[in-house]
Amino acid sequence: MHGPARGPAVIIRAALCPCPPLLARELTGRDPIVSGLREACAEAAARLVAADPDILIVVGPAPETAGWDSASRLDLSAFAPALGATLEASGTPGLPLSLGLGVLLLDQAGYSGPRFLQAVGEQEPVGRCTELGDKLAASAARAALLVMGDGSARRSPTAPGHLDERAAPFDARVERAIRAGDLAALAAVDATLARDLMATGRPAWQVLAGAMGAERPMTEILYADDPFGVAYLVADFEAAPNGAGQAGAS
Amino acid sequence: MDDRATCGPGPLDSLGPLGPPGAQREPGILRLGRQEFPAGRLLVMAIINRTPDSFYRPGITWHETAAMERVHTVVAEGADIVDIGGVPAKPGTEVTVDEESDRTIPFVEAVREAYPDLVISVDTWRHEVGRAACAAGADLLNDTWSGWDPKLAEVAAECGVGLVCSHTGGQHPRTRVFRRAYADVMADVLDRTLTLAQRAVQAGVDPSRILIDPAHDFGKNTWHSLEISRRLADMTATGWPVLVSVSNKDFVGETLGAGVDDRLAGTLAVTSVAAWLGARVFRAHHVEQTRQALDMVAAVKGDFRPARVLKGLV
Repeated sequence: MHGPARGPAVIIRAALCPCPPLLARELTGRDPIVSGLREACAEAAARLVAADPDILIVVGPAPETAGWDSASRLDLSAFAPALGATLEASGTPGLPLSLGLGVLLLDQAGYSGPRFLQAVGEQEPVGRCTELGDKLAASAARAALLVMGDGSARRSPTAPGHLDERAAPFDARVERAIRAGDLAALAAVDATLARDLMATGRPAWQVLAGAMGAERPMTEILYADDPFGVAYLVADFEAAPNGAGQAGAS
Repeated sequence: MDDRATCGPGPLDSLGPLGPPGAQREPGILRLGRQEFPAGRLLVMAIINRTPDSFYRPGITWHETAAMERVHTVVAEGADIVDIGGVPAKPGTEVTVDEESDRTIPFVEAVREAYPDLVISVDTWRHEVGRAACAAGADLLNDTWSGWDPKLAEVAAECGVGLVCSHTGGQHPRTRVFRRAYADVMADVLDRTLTLAQRAVQAGVDPSRILIDPAHDFGKNTWHSLEISRRLADMTATGWPVLVSVSNKDFVGETLGAGVDDRLAGTLAVTSVAAWLGARVFRAHHVEQTRQALDMVAAVKGDFRPARVLKGLV
């Protein structure tokens, strides 16, 4: 699946953030909630921007694999009609949730450089995902990647998908792989099990695995918790210098 | 005491259903004391009775310490206004001006000292009491007896405070409705309250400090009170801020067959309907529950942000 030879470390930095609607501050009411999660996402986005990439690519799961207009935004009124149709003026279609929240994070981080928005289909098999990641990596000399995706939504009796005993070990394996910079382990996540566990981030993780190649990036976990029964993971990935990658401590 | 010589509803010109020209105002800011409240803000006016014999839980705040304790409680529960009264609405032993003043004025002073910014209303129909209350720190004169004493509006103007203009169908203060009939009760309510509002403006009361109140149960049977509840939009459409006082009242009790201690659900139902139809101030015994009901209505209307929204968004 590897194309023509390309320069090393084309993805100079990547971040993984979850994509629950509650990341949009307007949707959650008066009380400050999930401030730790929001701060971690902001930190991850800020690190991407600070890396000064030629292009920032947002990847997130959606019903279909497709590129989206980089001027598009999330239509919050789809979740809260009282907010009004915020996109009517722009004339662009509303983004899928994952990409919309990724764009929101970039906007909040003050990023105004080139961006590319890539949805990856929820049903895409692993091979298609890693291939897509490989293509994205080759799209610019110095690209950064913001990957949006969640772990299992079946982690407790009050979780959206109720409790599935397989959820905790599944998410723990994903977290361990990311902590170790072991992207091959992400590529090996079973799509059927992920679907059963409502782990919607699976195809996006596998795009990340394809994009960062075989080298182990240095990683840092900025947030890992499940306050509402869904596994939220925020992580920072820095390409290993000169391809001599090794896992970073977290 | 017969104050009919100088007080009373007096002759009114026929003013039509919306009152005299200029009796409407642009909906907008309501000013009370030092505070300004925008149109979407729903206000709870907590009842503090300095009486031994009011209809709901008589005597509960008769003593000053108990009354002050209730002020602390209702403020904590979200009251925007306290309404201090020294004379029950029902017939009973005469309460003179001096006695009413003794019951209310020192207490107004004490509340003002404890809460410099709290809106203080005094429930009185007498201008002497009104003047003393303003001197003690009151912000609003709640004239439940519908301009019986015309000098009360002059006092409001003179002191720069607000005024509630209500409807009683011409009832003498502290009398009960007796076989009262109306060709159109809401037309009568509009006619009286808008006329009083217009008079108050002419007397010099700041229009942004005037409220109108249909006064449920005052000069009205239960059918009348239900009718004005149903047609409250006719009042709110005038642009004047509307105050409703429905808490635990007899029309709720008669409608539900409920005793005076079993009228909360009915009270909150009428409160919610009134809020939906645009009323802005709600006089209440049960402050916490009223606050919650109003916040809920305001959220449905889109005027109030929910506290914490997570369902379906995690």
